[in-house]
Amino acid sequence: METLLTIAVLLPLTAAVATFLFPARKPGAIRALAILATGTSLLLTLYIFSQFDRTQAGYQFVSAIEWLPSLGVSLKFGVDGISMTLLLLVGFVSFCGALVSHEIHDRQKEYYILFLALTSGISGTFCTTDMFFFYFFYEMAVIPMYLLIGMYGSLPPGKHGRTKEYATMKLTLYLTAGAVLALIGLLAMYFAGGKTFDMVELKRNLQLAGATQKWVFACLLFGFGFLASMWPFHTWSPLGYAAAPTAASMMHAGVLKKLGTYGIIRLAVPLLPEGARHWANLIAVLACFNILYAGWTALTQKDWKFVIGYSSVSHMGYVLLGIATLNVVGVSGAVLLMFAHGVMAALTFALIGFFYHQTHNRNVPDLSGLARKIPFIGVCMVMAVMASSGLPGFANFVSEVMVFIGAWSQGSMIFKVATICAVWGIVVTATYLLWAVRTSFFGPFDEKWNMLKDATTPWQKLPYVLLIAVLMTVGFCPRVLTDIIKKSVAPMVEMQRSVNR
Amino acid sequence: MTALGAVQLEAMLVTLALVTLLGDAFRPTINKRTLGLGLAALVVLVLLYSFTLQPQATTYFHGMYRLDGLALFFKRLFLVATVLVLVMGAEFVERFTSGVAEFYVLVLLAATGMLLTASVNDFILMFVSLELVTITFYILTSFLRRQVQSLEAGTKYLILGALSSGFTVYGIAYIFGTTGTTNFDALAATLKNGAPGPAFTLGMLLVMTGLGFKIASVPFQIWAPDVYQGAPTPVTAFLAVGSKAAGFALLLRVLLVGLLPVSALWTTLLLVLAAATLLYGNLGAIPQHNIKRLMGYSSIGHAGYMLMGIAAVNALGAGAVLFYLGQYAFTNLCAFLVIIAVTNVTKTDEIAGFAGLGRRSPLLGLALFAALMSLAGVPPLSGFFGKFQLFAAVIERATTDSRYYVLAGIGAVAVVVSLYFYLNVAKAIYMQEPERDAPPIPVSLPVRMGLYFCLTAIIGLGIFQRPLVEVAVKAAKVFQLN
Repeated sequence: METLLTIAVLLPLTAAVATFLFPARKPGAIRALAILATGTSLLLTLYIFSQFDRTQAGYQFVSAIEWLPSLGVSLKFGVDGISMTLLLLVGFVSFCGALVSHEIHDRQKEYYILFLALTSGISGTFCTTDMFFFYFFYEMAVIPMYLLIGMYGSLPPGKHGRTKEYATMKLTLYLTAGAVLALIGLLAMYFAGGKTFDMVELKRNLQLAGATQKWVFACLLFGFGFLASMWPFHTWSPLGYAAAPTAASMMHAGVLKKLGTYGIIRLAVPLLPEGARHWANLIAVLACFNILYAGWTALTQKDWKFVIGYSSVSHMGYVLLGIATLNVVGVSGAVLLMFAHGVMAALTFALIGFFYHQTHNRNVPDLSGLARKIPFIGVCMVMAVMASSGLPGFANFVSEVMVFIGAWSQGSMIFKVATICAVWGIVVTATYLLWAVRTSFFGPFDEKWNMLKDATTPWQKLPYVLLIAVLMTVGFCPRVLTDIIKKSVAPMVEMQRSVNR
Repeated sequence: MTALGAVQLEAMLVTLALVTLLGDAFRPTINKRTLGLGLAALVVLVLLYSFTLQPQATTYFHGMYRLDGLALFFKRLFLVATVLVLVMGAEFVERFTSGVAEFYVLVLLAATGMLLTASVNDFILMFVSLELVTITFYILTSFLRRQVQSLEAGTKYLILGALSSGFTVYGIAYIFGTTGTTNFDALAATLKNGAPGPAFTLGMLLVMTGLGFKIASVPFQIWAPDVYQGAPTPVTAFLAVGSKAAGFALLLRVLLVGLLPVSALWTTLLLVLAAATLLYGNLGAIPQHNIKRLMGYSSIGHAGYMLMGIAAVNALGAGAVLFYLGQYAFTNLCAFLVIIAVTNVTKTDEIAGFAGLGRRSPLLGLALFAALMSLAGVPPLSGFFGKFQLFAAVIERATTDSRYYVLAGIGAVAVVVSLYFYLNVAKAIYMQEPERDAPPIPVSLPVRMGLYFCLTAIIGLGIFQRPLVEVAVKAAKVFQLN
């Protein structure tokens, strides 16, 4: 049972290594292997989820291999409610990402190797309970992303005047800068916690004075904040998504970005409670900037991918606000929103990829009446937009409401104002998304799009249907996830209370 | 073990060199490529033989020479480097107009000098071994006699090298004059009672000048980019791996054995030098468009990382430096193997010549990419873990001395900057298209084997760090650190 989790995490990586042995002139087999690997990994994750003990708060399915006893490193995997949720997210998004990758026609072998390595890197980060491997897997995911964007991406020339090489370099440097900054904080915790990288043991041992906690927390907050596209360190993100190939955008906006907020929730908040309390107000303020600033920027964008890119920066603001509340409802809402937004962002990027592959144009004003030729994609896009604007029935609604309740009940004036800003942000989101979907999918049909072909076969439809189904399932019965998330969030927040007293 | 037994590895290399020299006089017609590969195979045998030797607690030659765990660690490292440099030499020899056998002989003699530096326990032997390495390198760097660049490199290296040697001897004289000994153990015992005064400090600084030149640390780094660019590529590789490691072997012995009791005198200096070296090497590499020059700056940067480990003055740092040197050898040799194979076809050292390498030769593209990413410190490659340990060592020291947090911060900046210029080469490899009708690049069997070996080491040590970590930690036990 314990090994199942390890298999689910490392299966894509094994498939990536196996792909090396395949001849490059058989792309069909390589693609099939990638789909098989991510699909099996998803099924395993679902099985683990079904066996997950919903009454427990701690890590389950724990497996450990001694790695470097002299440094206190061991390869440990385990999931609690938070990482279980996010592992599910990786499973769904990577499987759908592999499915929509049929648009890649050149150098498929390298593409799937990179994609599979990326998948394992991300799920490894979510599932390991050892800080060393947390960092290891995270950094492992960055370089495949660099190559995926640089080799397979495309960035139409525009006002930004940038190339995809620029975009991918910027993204990589930002992510690495954030990671190294976080590393300094992690190492400081390692030495203060009795030279162990084990997160459970650290939580027991860590003794840091309040003043030290404050700057260590700052290292982690800003380090991970780079990855989570926290304002003002977000500028790499829309550009990177816009330049990336479809599956890479899905993986990045959907899951890789969540590693940043996951790092804050997993390491910074529970291990440095005093630091968290000290910085909570600042996080809330920055979160408002994320929501409103990125939202307003999205209003002015014309390129579909930039619209969604800024929109996703804006949504990370809600996640950050939820974390800043430091109460069960708020933080649980943040975790659920990470899941919901991940699925939704992946869905949107997959849909954009579908028509962009045929139109080679994703400028919103150039597209018109697409829904007439590609009704299925149009319907899916409307659903995605509804989810993104927080309509009831989708997971996003539940999670955003939880964040608002958490933030309002936090009580302080700053959080009340932040909640108002956040609610206003939803209006902004709805404005640009509805404009984009109305202009490009409805309105008068332009004859030049007559050549568009809709998704017809079940295989083509599967990724979109699957992602929408996930969003709606969680939207209608959120307790599937919120129960286990709350269980694991509660002990963290208890710790917070003991500090406050 | 007898004293002669203790130097048997060096004796083997010298014998090999002399036999080659004599053999060349009698049989000058032998195929030079075969000769190089044959020598490489023989050095592999020496390397394998070295694993039968056990670390010895005693000293030899009146306390001058040690064969402890640290010495064996470095000797094996140098032997690995020699093997791969000989393979590179065999690939490269077509470009030499004459004196190919002498080239191999000089490589073997330089290697002998490096093996000696690994065992040094006395300033006199340190100077002798250092000169053996440096003087052979004067000749090696200018071995492409008809190329102005190569001659320029040789001259630069000669002038600056001679100057720094002079400083070293001068410094040794001051240390001997103030403490009455040149032996490291005796020196440490004397210094336990406190530093003798400014004359001693001056001597210490002068010795560090000489060693700083070898490892190319600021402010003695100016030669590195020019010499790296001008020297024949196998020599550049040997400079980057062997000569640098020899410098670090000596620096570790001098600072962490001989001068350990007065570490308060030199830690601040080393802290500043490490930071300056990190910044100089990594920032200087940004505008480079010649790959060998880039590697020159990169090697300065890496000297900075390793100085971080020494500046930390703790067991973790010493072990980390050894691990770093070990993996750095494989990584750099991998990169230089690719550079030789590619430039043999493209005839240019410009980074633009690597455009589309991923298509022209997937193996070479992958190998160079992996080597550069390992240098940048990306998991799951060995360079990542090397840097991780060095940072850990610095942070450990920082818990008692907060200045080290600044060093860690500068190191972090250096990591990001280095990723930028390494990725620029990666961009040429994978994101740019090769020129039209560019032929595929052939990879000969020895190079292929060398690359597989290096790649296995880079990836293997990146994931399963434990074997090398344990060896490094054991070797670092020589230093009395905690």
